[in-house]
Amino acid sequence: MKEITLNLRARAMELLAGGRVDLVIGYGTGSLPEFVRPVFVDRPERAGELIFNPLCAQNLTKYVLDYRDRPGRVAVVVKGCDSRSINQMMADGQLDREKVFLLGINCPGLADPSLLTGAAGRRDWQVESVPEGFRLRWPGGERLLPRDEFLMYRCRTCEHHNPVVYDELLGDPVPQDEAPDRFAEVRRIESLAPAERAAYWDALFARCLRCYACRNACPACTCRECIFDRPEPEWVARVVAPQSNLAYHLVRAMHVAGRCVDCGECDRVCPVGIPLREINRKVLKELAVLFGAPTPGTAYPAPEPLATFSVTDPEEWL
Amino acid sequence: MSVTTLTAGVISREDLVRLLAGPASEGRLMAPVRVAPEVVLFVPVRDPDAITLDYVNSTVPPKEYLFPRAEKILGWRGSGPQLELILPPELQPLVLFGVRPCDLRAITVLEPVFGGAYPDLYWRRRRELTTIVGLGCTEPGPYCFCVAWGISPVAAPEADLMLTPLEPPAAGGYLVAVQSAKGEELLRRSGVGPQAAGTEPAVLRERRTAELTARFRRLIDPTGVERAAERLFEHSYWRELARRCLGCGICTFLCPTCHCFNVIDRTAPDGSGGRYRCWDSCLFERFTLQASGHNPRPTRAERLRNRLLHKLSYHRTRYGLEGCTGCGRCVAACPVNIDIAEVVADLKGLMT
Repeated sequence: MKEITLNLRARAMELLAGGRVDLVIGYGTGSLPEFVRPVFVDRPERAGELIFNPLCAQNLTKYVLDYRDRPGRVAVVVKGCDSRSINQMMADGQLDREKVFLLGINCPGLADPSLLTGAAGRRDWQVESVPEGFRLRWPGGERLLPRDEFLMYRCRTCEHHNPVVYDELLGDPVPQDEAPDRFAEVRRIESLAPAERAAYWDALFARCLRCYACRNACPACTCRECIFDRPEPEWVARVVAPQSNLAYHLVRAMHVAGRCVDCGECDRVCPVGIPLREINRKVLKELAVLFGAPTPGTAYPAPEPLATFSVTDPEEWL
Repeated sequence: MSVTTLTAGVISREDLVRLLAGPASEGRLMAPVRVAPEVVLFVPVRDPDAITLDYVNSTVPPKEYLFPRAEKILGWRGSGPQLELILPPELQPLVLFGVRPCDLRAITVLEPVFGGAYPDLYWRRRRELTTIVGLGCTEPGPYCFCVAWGISPVAAPEADLMLTPLEPPAAGGYLVAVQSAKGEELLRRSGVGPQAAGTEPAVLRERRTAELTARFRRLIDPTGVERAAERLFEHSYWRELARRCLGCGICTFLCPTCHCFNVIDRTAPDGSGGRYRCWDSCLFERFTLQASGHNPRPTRAERLRNRLLHKLSYHRTRYGLEGCTGCGRCVAACPVNIDIAEVVADLKGLMT
């Protein structure tokens, strides 16, 4: 991983110095050991701010939307999961491929910071990915941790360790293991009796603050004006209440249906721990089961089952 | 602000359950419960055993019991001469247990906003009807920096009853300070009789304050930040910082002192409806959007600057009170690591 950081800096420096891009959007060191943050490197001298380590969770492609209508081109660091967003943005007509230079990272999976803190028994640790797992170091000590046990929850069902679209790869490809069952939790929720299932979601949605972090972090949410912000007409009540929260999350799920690339950012950013990803995964499961469709963004161009109409469609009511 | 202690003494962990049993059985107790491994919320509690005492701070601050996220302030039905206005139902008295000193300080911070020259009757009514039991901390959290704002992590004057855990936690019991008539009433009704403390209570509290203060790891010095903030209003720092801001409302909704609200009317097809006061966030695009279409804070840079300067400068200028209490929630939850403690250091650094 250290090698990736060095490659990243070297390439960013070249791209900026050569005028091939105006900005490099990547990861930088955060304010505390468990944090990393998006950084916006606009000069070759700043390339040293770029890092890559197993904490780099943010899906940076969302920021591309802030720069796509400006002159020039931006480079963005993408992991496998993030790279699907780029394909999907193109499929949605939201992004011109020429506007971005993709610095692809082959990612064996990210680490869960709270598990690392537990393993170190302290907070002043640093982590790097090594072939054998995660190497955790702190002043005066270190531990080698088995990767499987310390993966971030969302990385446990990783579909693409390697970017599906990129201009350049910064490391060696990571072998893709047998895809684990991504829909186990969806099946568990489906298996609940309707009343139990309603109670499960009602309790979760009652917590929702409508901070809209799930929407704002979502790379599929590309509308310039969001219906949830509109006071007139007010499609979904802005007054926070279990019913309107339910409506918000279901409408959002329908809006990203067939376009959600399963990056897991909604889950990660939710401040009250609502497992939002499972709602979207329910749709992904239907796509997979009914249409045999891969996760959106896996390829571009690709058939889009929910955005395709055919006069030979067998549905009688159409 | 000085602490008015009517009486003080020590109660045991078992006494704590007895203290809360009455309000719990009447459905009037709001207390911290761990609803998920990393989520602690203040929720109605019927069984005091469901309360978690093992938490640094609640995920969402308890301010919503004084300033709800959505509050119906008026209802109506009919129209024209038949229009009938309906006042919201009378509120019931509540006991809010387990409020930490940072969140208690937030009440003082909010008091001049809601209870000042133009008192807000909803806030005032809830304050009157809520008996607040403060709970001192036993360990600072990784993001905590209340001590930077001169807050004691174990005691605060805003509580009606203030519990200060004694060493070792729980087994040592709690030093209880009765700080208002409401607090005295709760204690009296419970039948719990505090035992005399072996040491002078004020001395015990000071000792615990000093012990805990020494364990804080985030050492920030906000001296001078207000002036720096004023001088750097137009600095490119804000634009740079805002590049990564997602414009979500996490920091404002988890903040114990953020108090912006919007008033939303909802009318059903039959003409009946209600007027609601709802939390708003200065990070939202439509915040302060005017009817003309003009927005004085047109981009995330102005909006983020507004939030941070409100904490670090405006509130102090207006009311002589710090707008931040160092609870660390915004630091813990920001998805892109915008860290107010770091902003304090950055602003001061830009001035030198």
